[in-house]
Amino acid sequence: MKEFMMIFVGTSYEELGLSPEQMQARMGKWFAWSNKMESQGIAHRGEALHDAVKRISGPDRVVGDGPFVESKELVGGYYIVKAETVEDVVEIAQDFPDYDLGSSVEIREIMVFDQ
Amino acid sequence: MSDEPLVEHLFRHQFGKMVSVLTRIFGLSNLEMIEDAVQDTFVNALTKWRIQAPDDPEAWLMQAAKNRMVDLFRKTKAENKHTEQLYYSPGAHHLNELLLDHEIEDAQLRMIFVACHPALKPEEQIAFALRSIAGFNIKEIAVGLLLPEETVKKRLQRARKKVVDQGIEFAVPSGAELLPRFNRVMDVIYIIFNEGFQSTHQAQIIKKDLCGEALRLCQLLLKRDEMRSSKLYALFALLCFHSSRLDTKISPEGELIDLEHQDRTQWFWPLIKLGNEAMNKAMERDELSTYYFEAAIAGEHIKARTFAETDWDQIAHWYACLLEWHDHDIYRLNLAYVHIQQGNFANAERLLLQIPPKNLADRQYLLFGTWAELHKAKGDHQKANASLKEAIEAVTNDVERRYLRGKLRG
Repeated sequence: MKEFMMIFVGTSYEELGLSPEQMQARMGKWFAWSNKMESQGIAHRGEALHDAVKRISGPDRVVGDGPFVESKELVGGYYIVKAETVEDVVEIAQDFPDYDLGSSVEIREIMVFDQ
Repeated sequence: MSDEPLVEHLFRHQFGKMVSVLTRIFGLSNLEMIEDAVQDTFVNALTKWRIQAPDDPEAWLMQAAKNRMVDLFRKTKAENKHTEQLYYSPGAHHLNELLLDHEIEDAQLRMIFVACHPALKPEEQIAFALRSIAGFNIKEIAVGLLLPEETVKKRLQRARKKVVDQGIEFAVPSGAELLPRFNRVMDVIYIIFNEGFQSTHQAQIIKKDLCGEALRLCQLLLKRDEMRSSKLYALFALLCFHSSRLDTKISPEGELIDLEHQDRTQWFWPLIKLGNEAMNKAMERDELSTYYFEAAIAGEHIKARTFAETDWDQIAHWYACLLEWHDHDIYRLNLAYVHIQQGNFANAERLLLQIPPKNLADRQYLLFGTWAELHKAKGDHQKANASLKEAIEAVTNDVERRYLRGKLRG
């Protein structure tokens, strides 16, 4: 088993102006996705990220406040899942609920160093 | 995480509750700030929950509301320029008290009465009520009422401006003001319901939601002893009877199904039972209203197990009472239809001739459609078709048009 990070990239919900009812509907889709993974025995964990960004860069360690990317490219959160292959994760990501909002999923394998 | 799906409309209803409670504390002049703040809470919930759902979403939202209140206290204190006298001191004890169920209901009741303040035009009242009490956003109101979003936006802006400029109090009025305002509150609920029930546009979900919200507002009023008038019970009964048929009015393919062809076994009995109970309460007092007669008519239809078993004589009686109580061409038109069912063609024709088409505005097609029914009942299919064509010409929505066309073929 390998571990993969699914990174959720897209417009922040704050900018979409969804109504309470629409937000609830979207929530339901996320719950369904999470439940589906659970029922298939796919271990997953993750965190959600706030929109605000601080960036430190350059030899002078210049501190700046975001946003630094277009709002539709904001990283909103991630899941870490266990799977055999990246194709399996691509399969899991089929049910990501926010494609219709223009959001996307990036999958990266988590590196393990053999000693 | 919890496997339970979220309570239906939890977010929307929670939005309305939180806005009302916060308005009670911060005043109507801060309404826009409050709505934005509540919206933020939901965005946060959505962002967080999608990764990690809480065990008790409702409690989570309530806690978020509390935190938000504390934030707002700090914020308004720091700014200290737009802040008016706060109604309550920001002690934690007070906050908890304001979040008790009956206090939330009290705050929502105040909001309904504010929405129906006479300073607001009727169309502004409805937009304001749907936004601030029922938690619809501009787009949903626009879809629900078949209006451009820009129009809804303007109405809401005007309503909010009036509420602030005229210093409207966040309270249920007392004394001589109470009765007219209460009547208006019931009218607004009735209109919101009808927007959902009568409209035939495609957005089925919004349509049902409008009916559901009207029922919920009615129930909120009924919780208060002093509001339980015969008229309110009658309104509730009417909404229950109509709602029980909501799912049978439109086929899965989106076609209109008339009363004669609805599957009566699919009418929703729990609502009919609620409606009957409310009607009994309404009858306890000798207080009549248009709602009372309309509910009596709707109840009579519900009672009939098949269309053929409808007691048209009784319904004709109720329509006659209704017309006497409140003369309106739509009631006259309905009575004419009942007379056709009774085979009383002469009376039907007499009534139809009394109705100038222009009085019905965009519902003229109903008049032509009823003429078609009359001609058909009398066996004159040529005239019936001519009237149907007039109706098709006048109708403004596709679902009704298809329905009428279907009759033309038949």
